[in-house]
Amino acid sequence: MTVTSPAGPVPPGLSARPPGPALPRLLPPGGRPGGLAGHLAVLGPLPYRGGPGRLIADVAASGLTGRGGAAFPVARKLAAVAAGRRPVVVGNGAESEPLSGKDAALLRAAPHLVLDGLQLAAEAVGACRAILAVHPGGYAGGALTGALAQRQAAGLDRVPVELAEATGGFLTGQETALVSALNGGLGRPAFTPPRVSERGVGGHPTLVQNVETLSHLALIARYGAAWFRSVGTGAEPGSMLATAWQADGRAAVTEATLGTPLGRLLDLRGPVQAVLVGGYHGTWLPAGQAAGLALSNASLHPAGAAAGAGVLAALPAGRCGLAETARVTRYLALASSGQCGPCLNGLPRIAAGLAELAGARPRPTVIHDLERWAGLTSGRGACHHPDGTVRFVRSALVTFAAETAAHAAGWCTAPGAAPFLLVPADQTAASGGRR
Amino acid sequence: MTADTALWYASRATGVVCLLLMTAVVLLGILVTRQGRLPGLPRFAVTGLHRNLSLLAVLFLVIHVLTAILDPFVAIGLAATVVPLASPYRPVWIGLGAVAFDLMAALVLTSLARARIGRRAWRAVHWLAYACWPLSLAHGLGSSGDLRSGPLLWLSAACAAAVAAALAVRALAWAGQVPPASRAAAELARQEAAARQQAAAARPEAAVRQEDLLARRQAVLGGQDTALARHHAALAAGTGLAAREAGR
Repeated sequence: MTVTSPAGPVPPGLSARPPGPALPRLLPPGGRPGGLAGHLAVLGPLPYRGGPGRLIADVAASGLTGRGGAAFPVARKLAAVAAGRRPVVVGNGAESEPLSGKDAALLRAAPHLVLDGLQLAAEAVGACRAILAVHPGGYAGGALTGALAQRQAAGLDRVPVELAEATGGFLTGQETALVSALNGGLGRPAFTPPRVSERGVGGHPTLVQNVETLSHLALIARYGAAWFRSVGTGAEPGSMLATAWQADGRAAVTEATLGTPLGRLLDLRGPVQAVLVGGYHGTWLPAGQAAGLALSNASLHPAGAAAGAGVLAALPAGRCGLAETARVTRYLALASSGQCGPCLNGLPRIAAGLAELAGARPRPTVIHDLERWAGLTSGRGACHHPDGTVRFVRSALVTFAAETAAHAAGWCTAPGAAPFLLVPADQTAASGGRR
Repeated sequence: MTADTALWYASRATGVVCLLLMTAVVLLGILVTRQGRLPGLPRFAVTGLHRNLSLLAVLFLVIHVLTAILDPFVAIGLAATVVPLASPYRPVWIGLGAVAFDLMAALVLTSLARARIGRRAWRAVHWLAYACWPLSLAHGLGSSGDLRSGPLLWLSAACAAAVAAALAVRALAWAGQVPPASRAAAELARQEAAARQQAAAARPEAAVRQEDLLARRQAVLGGQDTALARHHAALAAGTGLAAREAGR
């Protein structure tokens, strides 16, 4: 991965120990041995600032943005929540995107870095409650309980941390859905306003940050904004975790500076036909176009894509992009919480239309219907689920236009090939009547 | 009609009008939910209708109570209009009316203070509106003989039948309601069936291919969940590259 210049001079008041090479910052190779002691030995003590609000200026100077997908400036969120009464901090490790594995990898490899970030964020907003929400898979739970016990024994945490398991499903990572679940609700996305930064967990102003964002925050508190900005681009500083799915079916979580060419994360020299950027709410790009782009919104936005949560997948040449898209869209339609009409009625219709398009000799009207439904569905829900799904579908119709023409003529690149993109199995059986 | 009988008539008439208005309000309350609505009326118009009819009912109720007190034919004290069983004339039946009047007052006051007391408290009190209607009907039937015969009896029966029918419709809709979690699945199944049917109508031989594809897709989907879990475990374990199992 890109290794750039070592850190500059350490500002006064920050940890005296200079950080090692610029990357990897979050994921130590082979994990960090020695648990809490090892973590503190390498990174130094937890740099509490001694009062709410004091860290926010550093975070603002660092230009850190949310790494959960929306890339919202963290300092603005911190300031908004700090202004409220008795705030709550939530570390979001729910990781509901099926292709993403970075949050789990981070919680496994550097749990104490995440927990440091949670404490520092709690101090920065003056929170009296901190919650860490993790994926229900269970791979993080056991180790995290141990890590929390170690910290408690060392008297490190000023705010007790509660562990919560997200309920699973594609929408659970969305912040209003997560807060609803933490409040004992159904875990469905809510209309905003009120934003969770005004009224969230227990009705208190709530800061929801991805666990990767919290880890960056913990490092910024130690080494300062200038160190954070020493990699990445001027507009998008720092590094981010990416989950890259290669065309040969292998996948890995890697840390990359913002602005790294996609060709260094994905092997695009082989028989790759297209790249999915940003996961299942993301964008399909032809492989040739993707090879000229970099992992930053400045590079990806003009192509209609976004870095999101750093999910990249290369589709090999021997697969049918339409069939892949149809299968994923079916999963996305099933993931709808069923509360907004455009999503509830639109996504199943789009999914059924795509399934027909992915089959042999679809009716010629289907593609026009898909365009019409896509226009009617997006921008009208409580959350961005319909918008993200429509973006994914539209980019597929553009990127796989040749495949669409082939299907119309009765041909398919890979008839009956095994699925390439993984989706969780269909768990909600259609049922009439009330539970 | 003399001055004495004018009050008597006014009290009876406003009582009957009140019953009609309250029946309409209750019908709107039962039939109009988040999903259901009246044909041809947007939701905000239905809420507006509900509110205005309620206010009209309150107006008629006030006239009904005032004329009943002022009417010299029977002695109903001022206290008896709010305190149940305080009336010397038919204490039980007038008392039911008093309870309904108190409930109405509570509904109006909480609705006026809704922004202040919060939606949840307001809603809890608003459920009492459903108790108002049977109380009023019983009060009407019991405290005067008018409703017990002739056209007014038919009117009361019609009101009761309308509310009962609305309750039945609502109960049926509730029983057939799909829970939100499986709404998308139900809709998807419907759309997929419709798409298959249309494709089959266009070209009978395509239907077989679609069915075949769907079955094959379902067959692999079962195995995919475990594959995904395995991949996530490998990613989390930090073993670097997780090789996808052979043949995929």
